[in-house]
Formats: sequence, C-alpha cells, structure tokens
Amino acid sequence: MNGENKMLTVSASPHMKSWETSRVLMLDVIIAMVPALIWSVYAFGFRALSLTVISVASCVIFEFLTQKLLKRPVTVLDFSAAVTGVLIAFNLPASTPLWIPAIGAFFAIVIVKQLYGGIGKNIVNPALAARVFLFIAWPNEIKNFIAPSSEKLSAFSINVDAVATATPLASLKQGVTPDVKIFDMFLGNTPGCLGEVSALLLIIGGIYLLVRKVITWHIPVAFLGTVAVISYLFPLDKSVHAWEFMLMELLSGGLILGAIFMATDYVTSPVTKTGRIIYGVGCGLITVFIRYFGGYSEGVSFAILIMNLLVWYIDQVTRPRVFGIRKEKKKKEKEAA
Amino acid sequence: MAFTFRGGVHLNESKNTAASAIRHMPAPAKVSIPLSQHIGAHCKPTVKVGDEVMRGQVIGAIDAGLGCPVHSSVSGKVKAIEEKYNAMGVKVANIVIESDGLNTLSPDVRPYEKELEDITFDDLIEVVKNAGISGMGGATFPTYAKISSARGKVDRLIVNCAECEPYITANHRLLLERPESVIGGMKLMLKVFGLKQGDLAIEDNKRDAIKIAEGMTAENDLIKVRVLKTKYPQGDERQLIYALTGREIPAGGLPADVGCIVFNAETCSAIYNAFVTGMPLIERVVTVDGDCVVNPSNVLAPIGTSYRDLVEFCGGFKAEPEKVVNGGPMMGAAQWDLDAPVTKGTSAILVFSDPKPTRYEQPSACIHCGRCVGVCQMHLMPNYLSMFSRAGKWDLCEKYNVMSCVECGACSYICPGGVSITADNRVAKAKINEKRRAQKAAQAAAAAQKEAK
Repeated sequence: MNGENKMLTVSASPHMKSWETSRVLMLDVIIAMVPALIWSVYAFGFRALSLTVISVASCVIFEFLTQKLLKRPVTVLDFSAAVTGVLIAFNLPASTPLWIPAIGAFFAIVIVKQLYGGIGKNIVNPALAARVFLFIAWPNEIKNFIAPSSEKLSAFSINVDAVATATPLASLKQGVTPDVKIFDMFLGNTPGCLGEVSALLLIIGGIYLLVRKVITWHIPVAFLGTVAVISYLFPLDKSVHAWEFMLMELLSGGLILGAIFMATDYVTSPVTKTGRIIYGVGCGLITVFIRYFGGYSEGVSFAILIMNLLVWYIDQVTRPRVFGIRKEKKKKEKEAA
Repeated sequence: MAFTFRGGVHLNESKNTAASAIRHMPAPAKVSIPLSQHIGAHCKPTVKVGDEVMRGQVIGAIDAGLGCPVHSSVSGKVKAIEEKYNAMGVKVANIVIESDGLNTLSPDVRPYEKELEDITFDDLIEVVKNAGISGMGGATFPTYAKISSARGKVDRLIVNCAECEPYITANHRLLLERPESVIGGMKLMLKVFGLKQGDLAIEDNKRDAIKIAEGMTAENDLIKVRVLKTKYPQGDERQLIYALTGREIPAGGLPADVGCIVFNAETCSAIYNAFVTGMPLIERVVTVDGDCVVNPSNVLAPIGTSYRDLVEFCGGFKAEPEKVVNGGPMMGAAQWDLDAPVTKGTSAILVFSDPKPTRYEQPSACIHCGRCVGVCQMHLMPNYLSMFSRAGKWDLCEKYNVMSCVECGACSYICPGGVSITADNRVAKAKINEKRRAQKAAQAAAAAQKEAK
C-alpha cells in the first residue's frame, strides 16, 4: 500500500468534477414534469398515462436500436430520450390513437436527433419537430380535444371516439373570447393536450427547475413577457378587458409548456444570457404573430423551431467581451493595421 | 461586503487540514533538488558528485538570462547529478544529496547587514535574487525579476492569500502561525516601493486568519485586510486585481500594466525571512491530503523531499495510491512517480485512490447547456473553443480568444457532459504558439536573407 513500482494515473487537470452530470439534469427535468403528468391522468384518465409510457418507451428503444445499428456508444441512460418521450406525449391530446406517439418517437429520436449526431448535435428540439410532424401528417387523428373530467378514456383502446370540444386557443383564433373562467385555465380545467392544460403545475415544475439551477429565468421570462406585452397592447377581442385577453393568451395552448420545458432545451437554445433573452423575445414575437395572423391557431411550436435554427447566430452575436480585451482598443488596432 | 468577480464556481472546499498546525519535517535521508524550479533558464550546478554541502549553500547558479539560484536544503554529500522529468514533463538535472542528518547551516546564511528601514530597491532585488525566491503560488516566476520589472510602475501592493483551490491550507496556516513574516514582508515592500496602499487579500472561509491579520494591521494605515468571497478562481491574480481595484489586466499583460504587484503570501514571507534570517528558499509549507494519507496535515518540508517521504511523515498510506497531484485538484499536475521531489512551487501533494475525477460513465458529449460560458471568469465561450479545438480549427480558436484562457479548469469541472474543455484549450494554445513561433522564425529567416543579399 505505498505505490511502490507502480505507474500512477496521469491525466489533465482539473482532477475534480461536479456531480451535476447530464443524467442528473435530465432526471430533474423529468421530476419537474411529474406534477403535470399526474394532473393529465386525473383530468383525462389512464389513457394519458398509457400514451406517455408508449412515447417514452419508444423513444428509449429507438435510441438504443439506432445507436446499436450505427455502432455508437449507447447513451439511453442519460435519460435525454426519456425527456423527449414525455414531451412528445405532453403535446398530444388524450384521444390520440396509441400508435401515434411511437411514430413521433421514431421521427424525434432517429431522424432529428441520432442522424444529426446524437445528444447535443441536433439543430431543432426533437419533441417539437415530432409534434409538428404528427400534427401535419395526421390532422384527423389528433384533432379531438376533449374536456377534462368529461369522460375518463380507457387506457388501451387503439382509437377513441370522444366528444371533441373547442380549445380556448381555437376560440381565441376566431376572435371570440372563450367561455371559460381564467382560473379554470390556470388550474387546467380546459380541453387541450396532455401536458399543457395546467399552468399552475407547469409553473411549479418551472420553479423547481429554477431552484435546482437546471434552467435560468431568461428564456421563460422573455418568452412569456413578450407574449404578455403584445397581447395586452393589441388585444384581438376588444369586448373584454385587455388584461383578461392577455391572461387568456398566456394560459391557452402550449405556451407555458413551451416556454418552460421546450424553449429551454439546452441543445437548441443559446449559451449566453443576452442570447437567451433575444431568443425568448424572438419566440414570443413569432408565437403572437402566428396566433394573430397565421393559418394555425397554435404558434408556439413553430416559433420555438424557427428560433432553434437561429441559435448559432444568436450565440455568435452575443459573444461576451473577453476579460482584458476592450472594444476601443481592438478598433484602434484595426485602424493601425 | 466581500470583494468578488463575475463568473467562477463554488467548489466543495475540502479544507480538511485547516486546523492542523504546520509540522516541521526533519531532513529526509535523501533529497533530490531540481536545478530548475522556476520559469526561465535552468541553473548550472556549482557542486560536483562527492562534494560536502551545507544547508543553505548555493548548489545551482543562474546560468544565463532569466533564472533563479537553487540552494541545498540539507547538509550532507552530493551523491549524483541526474536528469529527470519534472512535474511539467520537462527534463531537468537533479542534484541528489544524501543527508548527514545534522542540518549544519552554511556560513552564508546570516541576517542582512542593513536595518529594514534602510533597505533600497537594489538591495531588495539583490537579496531576493540570492535567496532563490520564485513565486510560491505555483507559477514559479523568479520574484526578483517581477520586482525589478515593476519598478516605478505600480501604486498598489497585493498579497494573495485567497487560496481558492480546494484542500490547500498552507497559506491559511502560515497566516495563522507566522503572520508577522507575511505582514513584515508587506511593510518592507511598501517601504521600498514607496507605496501608499498594500492589500492583504483573504477569502472569507478563513475567518480566524482574517481576525489575526486585522488585529496585527490595526495600527498600520497602509495595510488593509481585504475579505474576498470564497469562489474559485479568486486567487488568479487577474480576478484578484479586478475584485480589489476594478482594473482589468489587458490580454497578454502583467499586473504591472495596471499598476499592481501581486505576491503569494508565502513568497512575501520568504522575502521577509531572507532579510531577517538570511535563509534562502530551501523549505516550504506543503499541504499533504487526499484519501490515501493517514494523517492529512501541513508540513514544512525541505525542498527536494520525495512525495513518498512526505506521505510517510504524515503517517503513510492507508489505501493504494492511484493518482498523485502536485498542487490543487483544479490546476495541479498529476504525477506518475511518487519519488518526484517537492519544489518551490509545490503548495500541496494530494494522494487519491480513485484515478477518475468523476463517477460519470457516459461518453462525453457537449449538451450546449452554457454552464461553461457562465463560469468562465475570462468571459470566453469554452464550449465553442473545445469544439473548434477538436476539429483542429486553430484559427477559430484564436479568433475566439483561446489565448486568454488561464486553464483554471472551471469549465471542465462544471461540464455536465464530461467534456475535457480545459485540455482541448491547452492543445489549441500549444498549436497557436507553435504557429506563432514558426511565423517568427520565418520572418527572421526572411530578414536574414534580405540582409545577406
């Protein structure tokens, strides 16, 4: 026990490492989504759970298979595929046929993530890309939004004939303030996708992520703030108070889910604080633009996807000033040269 | 309000030895003293194999250019002069001395003839040079050269006792047990430089040392004890100067460029000792810690003591060592050999049984989380630097200011993806330096050719 005649390990410093690994962070994101998941089961029945389980399982299986096939190290244990799985399910209504999330998982994991190089290399958020793909490819299968607690859907029937209800967002789109209480929207007593209805529980999850320092406040605050300001200043429906319209806009659709859980995806958001604010404001602007003028009632997913594509440039533009290098000095040097 | 800077990381401090008093280590049976323990040219030996040497006697003299003499730390007989790799992987001649156990002091070691009040700038440079003092915080720049280059340029003296690396408590203990030598050194230099302000900078995790220092300097208007927030890397002189004065050392510059001169606390104490006792730099305080050491403690060890002897003095090994680090866990260099010697820059010897810095078993992958950007106190974008470096894009690394990287390791520490960012930056810096040297050489060759024509 004295290291006699023994080669010691030589490696580059630092010789210390934070315990906060990718896996720990992803696990925290999953924990933050649990309250909203529980609510979706309570509101829509066990079908919400079976959709989520199918989605997560397919994501993990597809990641495993692709990595085996491409002879890459298997990284399903970093839980990033599981996070994608939960997010895909969160973006579907409870009446969605059970095979739909599996197709979404294939698109998200194989095409958007693994074929671009795996974790950290994808350009757009896999779950969002899958959502947009599914909504465009199977519009008839994913159109039935049911009201919470109206009928508990069975967990296993492949297709469901549910009584569809207009979501608050769809009403807003037609310039009609929906006939629901704002407090119900806040709690999650409105029709919508699995994970997006309860603003309260999503915000609790967001606070958890902030406290654990998994995300910073910049993106959600800039995103939601931009939507709030514009919808307050330019309400579509002049018959209600501007603040009432603003709250409707904020609480409807996938805005809060998107701002807290999707726009903050590390891989597809900027690394600088200024960049994150620019990115959040951009997401907010595009969301309102699409909601006001676009053909779709929901603009959040498109807004985030578009801003995803700009992340590289936002990072470059917001490069911090390096310690000890002054701008004026650089300019002078340029002039001298 | 504690002084601080933007960026940085909060580390698990692991200051296990903060309560362990410095123990004086008796002369080991054998010391191996490298002829270069500083930045600059290697010394030339002034003794031969078979010579009798005394403690404090010069055994290596400045050869040419920038250098720093080396003294024997024991009395005894020169056994060999052998080439060995040092902590940085450079081949250096080592003088191996077999101790006679008597520690007979060389007659050259005697207090300086002048009173402290009468010391001039030239005296300071001369004494510091002869005492072989180089920066003891780890950078090991010859101190006399730092002093002479700062002459007339500075208005602020800063003594660095931040000690922001985990585990190390050597400066902390020094300040607790021998505050008079650190503060005496400060007074001396304030007087010689003719400065109006000297800051003794201490992180706020060393409350007891702050109290002692404040008590001792209460009467002195020139010396101020400055309390720093505990954050890594507060001890980096750029961040230290910025925290205390708001001045930014320009990229590639020195503290003197912003009117400051910074000394490590132990260097400051060594300067004081060189005047008061005449003792050259032949021993230093080393924190010996890590899960393999039976009694982690602070040891005043003769320069040239092997790591193995040092650990044996601390009760020996209690687990099989797998990794030995010379310095702190963030910036220290891993050693392959337990027989390597303690040098002037060795602030700590850490012996670990786990060779890996982390239990993370996933393949490393950047997830673009931006934590490295947040912690980089030089305000670089380490994630992009690492990416460019791995792709061999040295031009892009240069454009993104990789040369400003101080290799503090904060980015690698914080990276959830386990990317070795610091190491990637080191590669890029080496490549860019290589390119710059080649360009310089090409220019010189072209100029020579022109002249020949």
